[in-house]
Amino acid sequence: MSDNTLQDTPWSPPQGYTQVESQVPGVVVFAPQPDRLEQDQAVSYDCPNCGANVAYDVSAGGVSCEYCGYAAPVTADRVGRNAEDFEFTLETLTQARQGWGTERQLLHCDSCGGELSLSEGALTTSCPFCASNQVNVITSQEETLRPRFLVPFKVKPEDTISLAKKWLGKGWFHPNELAENVVVQRFLGVYLPFWTFNAAVDARWRAEVGYQKTDRRYNARTKRWETRTRTVWKWENGRVHLDIDNLLVTGSAPNHISHHILHQLYPFNMDDLVAYRPDFLAGWNAQAFETTLTEAWETGKTTIRGKAKKACYQRIASNQVRNFTMSADFSDESWRYILLPVYLTAYRYEDKVFQVMVNGQTGIVAGSKPVAWWKIWLAIAACLAPGALLALIGLPLLLVGGIGIIAIALGIILFVIGVIIGFSLYNKARKSEES
Amino acid sequence: MMVEHPPTEEIIDENQTLWHTDRQPAGCSQCHRVYLVTPDYRGASCPLCRKGVLEAQPAHMRTAQPEQMLTFRVKRNDLLPTYKKFISGVWIKPEDFNPETLLRNTRPVFWPEWLVDSDVSGHWEMEAGFDYQVESAKEVYNNGRWESRKQIENRVRWEPRVGMINTRVENVITPALEEHENRQKMTEKYHLERGIGFDPALLGGAFLELPDIPPEDAWPLARPRVDKALAKTSSKAAGAQHFRNFSISASFSNQNWTEFFLPMYTTYYTDDDGQPQIVVVNGETGAIRGPRLASQKRGARIAKIIAAVAGGLFLLALLSLLLTMVIPPLGLIAGLLGLLGFGVSLFAIITAVWPGQWNRKQTGPRIAAKD
Repeated sequence: MSDNTLQDTPWSPPQGYTQVESQVPGVVVFAPQPDRLEQDQAVSYDCPNCGANVAYDVSAGGVSCEYCGYAAPVTADRVGRNAEDFEFTLETLTQARQGWGTERQLLHCDSCGGELSLSEGALTTSCPFCASNQVNVITSQEETLRPRFLVPFKVKPEDTISLAKKWLGKGWFHPNELAENVVVQRFLGVYLPFWTFNAAVDARWRAEVGYQKTDRRYNARTKRWETRTRTVWKWENGRVHLDIDNLLVTGSAPNHISHHILHQLYPFNMDDLVAYRPDFLAGWNAQAFETTLTEAWETGKTTIRGKAKKACYQRIASNQVRNFTMSADFSDESWRYILLPVYLTAYRYEDKVFQVMVNGQTGIVAGSKPVAWWKIWLAIAACLAPGALLALIGLPLLLVGGIGIIAIALGIILFVIGVIIGFSLYNKARKSEES
Repeated sequence: MMVEHPPTEEIIDENQTLWHTDRQPAGCSQCHRVYLVTPDYRGASCPLCRKGVLEAQPAHMRTAQPEQMLTFRVKRNDLLPTYKKFISGVWIKPEDFNPETLLRNTRPVFWPEWLVDSDVSGHWEMEAGFDYQVESAKEVYNNGRWESRKQIENRVRWEPRVGMINTRVENVITPALEEHENRQKMTEKYHLERGIGFDPALLGGAFLELPDIPPEDAWPLARPRVDKALAKTSSKAAGAQHFRNFSISASFSNQNWTEFFLPMYTTYYTDDDGQPQIVVVNGETGAIRGPRLASQKRGARIAKIIAAVAGGLFLLALLSLLLTMVIPPLGLIAGLLGLLGFGVSLFAIITAVWPGQWNRKQTGPRIAAKD
């Protein structure tokens, strides 16, 4: 409690404060103005010099005009891993469960005055009347459920085709000269929605752990020393602490984007996170989340549970474990809603469509590729052949003596190994075609 | 900060009565505490120091009738069990440290606190704390299945708030005695919300202790309490459940200072040096505090007697030892007597030392001695 002297000058609240409702007569209350994002209004991107359409240019690191050369750098705070995160307040969770709703956002184009509507989930669009780029964020009652941070595109659009061609050329079980024969369409740069989660996890486990114990004893009946191995079970317990940092969960619905391919684009470097600025989205596509915070958190928790269980098992000194139980106490859970850069495209090969994605930050390419199945069958046959041949050779040798049995046994072992390798090859090939 | 001076006090003549009662001012010749007492208590011993007597004297005080009081809920005659419990555990007590003497010496006293009202106009700033809840997860893996248990945790979100205030604070409790803090420790808590309008008829024969801090001197003590009341009001206005780092620049005017009288009993017993040891009982709750002294003099006296017994036992043991030359079985008795003598002498040492050790632990609050 300070004992300040009352100034003669009339008092006024500090800058940035606004009057809020007071619940006591005679008391006026001022609070800091809410940190509103520059997202409420649609932003039109027209060149101030020539009036043409401007867009975010990866090379220039700012908004530029391809006609007159106008360029304006985008100034945004690089927040990295220290980007503000949010707690799982009951208020936020209630709002998150309700989702965006199905309301469509109507935009007024500042360039031509036209009215245009955004498709559900889209954050950007181009005016169909004047082709002006528009950036907006769908209205959310909850301020925190708007994208606050993003990782800007670092990979230039013109580099994506060569990256994709290089990727297509890799792998022996794809059609020969796939990279040369396939026509890859222009990649579409999209900011995709992601949730990131942080948490501290304290896990406690308890299990019966089996240890092999070897005894050597003298058998009076056979008059020989015998070695016996048995498993001794002991109850053990322990604790494991895990710090989960920026666990990524996609906010896109699986029917729109292949999560299988998307996961292959990981990791994204979160050190490049910047505060959201609509300039980054000018001329690019961006999607709002379709998977709600609560749904994404359930997915995230499943991943974290798996990590915690794996960490507990790693503490156990034996592979033999039974009656395993554990609990994982989560604390300091927090989340962020961010946008990450991804290039998307698809190509056709023998009337089938294959999806390809490029990590817009790191250039990692992932996607589905056609499989030359004759190569796979040939490889599988090559894997099985040595075992089968050796077993066949062993059959006539049985007539000669014991050597035949050894050949058959070796043949069976090689055959089993061949089956395993063949099955693995088959799976890999099948997954390569999957989108 | 601008403060309009509170109403000044008046000097009350020693024979003047107040509030349509026969109470007149009287002061202690020893500790100089001033009371309003009924005429029959003039010449009585001071209830708070028990050394001096109350003599008629003029008093410097507010003449307006006090505003509130708490009544005695604990009756004087019901104090005997309280005193018995208070004394229990003290092994070698002074002669008159017994429940009956304490009850006989019991005097009812009302002691004062100020109630401050003031108009406030100014501006403030603080950190307002808002309660909110977060959901946390506890995942349990059992029988090959995961089970999720949600846990709700309460947290406080701190946000800056500033504002203007134009209000009146009322009945802010402020110390009226220099020994206020010590008095609070002695009496422990009162249920101040049970306060009723001051009624002289409810005073009975109790001593009414007068404030020794006048309002103008009490303002610096009142200010933090007024600030706290204003912080609560501002916090409530902001819709916050908590506050911290509150500061205010304000002018205070139209002040009104009145007394709030609280009931207590005082009693005493005399220690080894003949000094009265004051014991205080909260007149509302019955909480009792005061020094529980053992008598070192009695301890030493008893120890001497026990030591003499031990000496006799040692002599007998020596005699028995000498007689063993004639009657050998007496050796056993000599040994036993020696052991007994050793035990009794240990007991004598304990009896001599214990009262001093016990008294050293009596570090609780005491009624302050005043010149």
